[in-house]
Amino acid sequence: MKSIQARLSLGLVAVLVVVGVVLAQLTLWLFEAGLQRYLENGLRKESENLLVALVRGPSGLQLDERRISAAYQRPFSGYYFRIDFDQGTWRSRSLWDLDMPKPAAPGLSDSHELGPEGQQLLALRADYRRLGQDISISVAQDYSPVREGFRRMQQIGLGMGLVALILVLVLQRVTVKRSLRPLERARQQIAQLQQGQRSQLDAEVPVELAPLVGQINHLLSHTEDSLRRSRNALGNLGHALKTPLAVLLSLASSARLEGLPDVREQMRAQLEHIQQRLARELNRARLAGDALPGAQFDCDAELPGLLSTLGMIHGEGLLLERDVPPGLLLPWDREDVLELLGNLLDNACKWADCEVRLGIAPSDGGYRLWVDDDGPGIPESQRLQVLERGSRLDEQVDGHGLGLGIVRDIVEAWGGQLALLQSPLGGLRVSIDLPRRVR
Amino acid sequence: MRLLLVEDNVPLADELIAGLQRQGYAVDWLADGRDAVYQGQSEPYDLIILDLGLPGLPGLDVLAQWRAAGLATPVLVLTARGSWAERIEGLKAGADDYLSKPFHPEELQLRIQALLRRARGLANQPTLEAAGLHLDESRQCVSRDGVDIQLTAAEFRLLRYFMLHPQQILSKSHLAEHLYDGETERDSNVLEVHVNHLRRKLGRSVIETRRGQGYIYAGSVA
Repeated sequence: MKSIQARLSLGLVAVLVVVGVVLAQLTLWLFEAGLQRYLENGLRKESENLLVALVRGPSGLQLDERRISAAYQRPFSGYYFRIDFDQGTWRSRSLWDLDMPKPAAPGLSDSHELGPEGQQLLALRADYRRLGQDISISVAQDYSPVREGFRRMQQIGLGMGLVALILVLVLQRVTVKRSLRPLERARQQIAQLQQGQRSQLDAEVPVELAPLVGQINHLLSHTEDSLRRSRNALGNLGHALKTPLAVLLSLASSARLEGLPDVREQMRAQLEHIQQRLARELNRARLAGDALPGAQFDCDAELPGLLSTLGMIHGEGLLLERDVPPGLLLPWDREDVLELLGNLLDNACKWADCEVRLGIAPSDGGYRLWVDDDGPGIPESQRLQVLERGSRLDEQVDGHGLGLGIVRDIVEAWGGQLALLQSPLGGLRVSIDLPRRVR
Repeated sequence: MRLLLVEDNVPLADELIAGLQRQGYAVDWLADGRDAVYQGQSEPYDLIILDLGLPGLPGLDVLAQWRAAGLATPVLVLTARGSWAERIEGLKAGADDYLSKPFHPEELQLRIQALLRRARGLANQPTLEAAGLHLDESRQCVSRDGVDIQLTAAEFRLLRYFMLHPQQILSKSHLAEHLYDGETERDSNVLEVHVNHLRRKLGRSVIETRRGQGYIYAGSVA
């Protein structure tokens, strides 16, 4: 797609050149026509003078030398005539020994004839009848200076036209640039939007751009709204289901079922199953994924809260460290990242003896997250199995068994890779590679 | 130990209250957030269990108002919305622990035990230990030098309170306030009877009487 600027310039240049050339040519032509008419008058008068100078002499027709202008006597003066009649042809002295052809038809003939010294002649032939004879008088005038003048005028005109064209182009460029500035600003804002530095486009734009910006903003807020709505709906559903589930769980372990150990076990197992399924599906469904372009996670702002929360849950004895470059922003939804890190760290905290370490760093084409603990770890042979089952890593510590399952769901939704490795602290390292989001 | 349970779901509250009473806790129950704001501050609770989805006033606002008023009682938040973002918000608002629904009753009991010990600055061990005695809260019995001694529910409640407040003079009225819920008749004679039972089972020096002031737990170091 060509730029609007280039397209505008091209169109403008084409129009200006065509109009300019036609107009200049037309002007020259009209001017020349007027000039020729004026000169024609002079030439006609000249020819009439010559006619008057024709007198009857002793031997037929004779030209009265006193009556003709001195310019016809001086060689190559630029003024010439020839008189053709029955007995012969007279030529002016100024022609010297060159021949001036007789114009083919009476009237003005447009300087085609090449005269002496390369002069271009404007000739007028007039036919008369005098003293009983047909007389054709041709008068010519050197037209070269006028031609020269016209050529110079053309050159000057061309030069001025070029200068004007360049000037117009420059001015047009400035104007277009100025009037396209809102478009450029909108482009920058969209870039910021994608980097998560803003959530809406600036609505202060020219009338032509307003519908576009309005639509984009509407779409953004619509997406955000529907995401929030669906999250709320899911939360409500979860709330509606979880409280009765809590009642049932409590009932299942109450003293009333003491006499029926089978029923009790069965109930507990099934309830546990429902609970896990529910928690996992709710979490999966509420993942924002890529729906919001402006989403981002500010590590500096969010991590201290998360770590102190974990510290509170798992007791003060646990050393929680983070190894995150300052000012790092992750391009994913805040709640999703919190969910991912919370589950990862929670899992690590349950297993760790006294130290858990979180690292986040940008890598080629994405980000790498890793969580280390100094707990017992998982033997290499079992790691794949644990990943495939994907869930019940933490079976012995808590009733949830969901931590890694949810983490895996989130990582999959983001197109990332999850790996279990040996930690330098001695326990397990969960390492996650996340690709940068493709827009 | 006297707890306040703020939970609007009646069947769940019934179950929780029954379970907690079996564990020897005195439980007051409220279902409305506005009542909870007032009662949480006016009564001397040892721990509050707060549901976040409350009618009247959201649980987080209740918590924020308590903390703004300087209430230091440990608060265990109970919620169906268990995402980490909400968990962090809850703990920022001043919660001490967070339990998401549904949960196992044992999980709740363990969290309550842990919170009560943390509030008193005690280590979180399987049994409560103070001055030579080990109290097993799940079995509600006490052991001294490896010998188990059975306790009645009332004796267990009393001894647990003493062991959580060692070397502290506890008046009868203070004990009554923390051992019985708001609806039980408080009779100081009953307390004396239970103290005597404890002395008979564990030795006279376990609980000393400070005349005019109250009792103090001394344990069986002597």
